[in-house]
Amino acid sequence: MRFQDAARDGRAIVYAGIQADPLVARLAALLVGATVAERWLARAAMNGERTEADVWRRIFPTLFGDDTAAERRDRAEQLLEASLAVANRGEAARSSYRGAVVEELTAQLLAARTGSAAPDGPVRRERRVLFDGVAAEIHPYDVTLESDARPEVYDCKWGARGINADVLNQLDDARAHAAEEDLSLDVALVVFDARRSCEIRLDRSTANRAGTRLVALEDLATLAERRR
Amino acid sequence: MNDTDQIAQRAAEAYEALADLAESVDDEWQYVTDLVDAYMPGIQALADSHQDRPLTPEGAAAVDELIAEVGLITDPHKAIDWLSTFPHVVALAFGGDGALGGPADL
Repeated sequence: MRFQDAARDGRAIVYAGIQADPLVARLAALLVGATVAERWLARAAMNGERTEADVWRRIFPTLFGDDTAAERRDRAEQLLEASLAVANRGEAARSSYRGAVVEELTAQLLAARTGSAAPDGPVRRERRVLFDGVAAEIHPYDVTLESDARPEVYDCKWGARGINADVLNQLDDARAHAAEEDLSLDVALVVFDARRSCEIRLDRSTANRAGTRLVALEDLATLAERRR
Repeated sequence: MNDTDQIAQRAAEAYEALADLAESVDDEWQYVTDLVDAYMPGIQALADSHQDRPLTPEGAAAVDELIAEVGLITDPHKAIDWLSTFPHVVALAFGGDGALGGPADL
């Protein structure tokens, strides 16, 4: 098994521009240490109809109320400002930005675990996993942790609705092919949505997912924790 | 019916309207139905679980503002996304941690 950079087509080049927008890294960095309530704020504001900050302050009184500690309120303000900046990119660009934020957040959390965010470090983006005698998958993995001892691959989704058979099959195939080479490859789906909604989606899927880990909005901090 | 009951009732009605819009995406009818089946009882039960701890004025205003927000949605695909988000934000407004139905949903 080996990892390889994915070839970039026109769409990937455009998307790379969004991934490189400093707003993506800034919002992801704010989400790294966010509470579950703050993550809901980000999800709601990035997907809202209205982009006036006061609307969202009223919807989340526990984050912005007078009783809220100044430090916590300040953090929520930064998160809200960045989330609304994504929303203000317009309906067409929003979905790309949101996807890029989930990927960047995943990469930053994994980098926190490994202690290295270097471009040539173990946490990489847009990589394929190649196996001897097996045709390469069409879609690269969003984030990979390329450890010799215990490699990991991640597919990232903004919402539970993005979970489908193709995604689950690709992850499970990679895990199975690695096992054929006597390697343990951790495969996971990161979804910036409620665990319950993800499980509802998964329950209707017939794809093999027994070996695929789900990391939902409520569990994101676990990505930064050492695996057992 | 007290204020908290009425607000929970309005939230449930807004959720139902969101589901009606989302159902127009034929391919996702099952997912929409599953989401409503999973979350609607929790929204309806919020008032019951707050009988001894009425919703604060800020919490009530938050739910009404959220209802106004989802009432602006016209895109059924966005409505599907909000079917997952809305219950958790309502639960936060009610002073919870965003989970509906207990620790198993965390």
